[in-house]
Amino acid sequence: MNGDARLDRIDLMLLDTLQDDIPLVPRPWAALGTRLGVPEQEVLERLGRMRNLGIVRAISPILDSHHLGLTATTLIALPVPIERISDVAAIISGYPEVSHNFQRDNTFAIWFTLTAENEERLGEVLSKILKRTGIPERDILNLSTVRQFKIDVRFSHILNGRLEEGYGSP
Amino acid sequence: MDPLDRRLLGELEGGLPFVPEPFDDIGNRLGISGEEVIERLRRLLTEGVIRKFKARINQRLIGISANALVAWKVPDTGDGDAGSLLASYPGVTHCYERTRVPGKWEYSLYTVHHGYTREEVLDEVRGISEKTGIRDYIVLFSIKEFKRVPNVRIGENGRGTP
Repeated sequence: MNGDARLDRIDLMLLDTLQDDIPLVPRPWAALGTRLGVPEQEVLERLGRMRNLGIVRAISPILDSHHLGLTATTLIALPVPIERISDVAAIISGYPEVSHNFQRDNTFAIWFTLTAENEERLGEVLSKILKRTGIPERDILNLSTVRQFKIDVRFSHILNGRLEEGYGSP
Repeated sequence: MDPLDRRLLGELEGGLPFVPEPFDDIGNRLGISGEEVIERLRRLLTEGVIRKFKARINQRLIGISANALVAWKVPDTGDGDAGSLLASYPGVTHCYERTRVPGKWEYSLYTVHHGYTREEVLDEVRGISEKTGIRDYIVLFSIKEFKRVPNVRIGENGRGTP
């Protein structure tokens, strides 16, 4: 459960380093390797292996929604009976405006985020989803984003904890 | 942002290729040099178009399988201070203020937590509650992940004019 036997200490250190911006230099993997004391070729092999395992999804720019013209965001919670969860979730996931769609352990069983150009478009998408799923608007929670205090998915503190415990050491 | 920036971001959506000179590789696809790719990316980072250029990892596959959204109830005058305080804890990966639904859902601050086990996450949340004095909260563990993609995808939804 705690950790993955397919990863060693250097893999974890590499994952930890990759939580920060990658170096914008002609040979970024060599630069990362220098930081970790590992040759470029080994960095590439490890990255390739972790990508094949599905652990590294991609190393790519994370874009700011406002700069890309997407100014309206909300979190919606729906009360859905257990037997309908898969069907309702499938309908919701089909919309490109939906980025996260989770089942959570609450009577509000489905929680999803919507992002769109403006509030009007957001409302249209939500109306369509409610219509198709047959859930009345009065039953839902529409939790519009007022302020972002932090948006930085980092697992470094967790990875560091593992490294400090000696995980992956021979 | 010019049209070439947009194409560049589109090319990078699938990830930086794992070859020794990945920016040259991306530049070749766009008919520009690797140096120009790097210059453009530096500018986009400075402008804030790119928030981060880092790995997206599937945390479940490295054993980080507990994920909780925690909703916190604070007096409505205290959202700003409490939000900054909650965001300051390293275990909090996201922190948002959201609208209340009066009479039905009075929570206004939301944090996201990750851990290897639910117990670990609950301990962290309890600790934060004690330290901040925010006693009224609800922990919503994820049971199933149906969709998780970046909220901006150039090819799919990022076409709006900035």
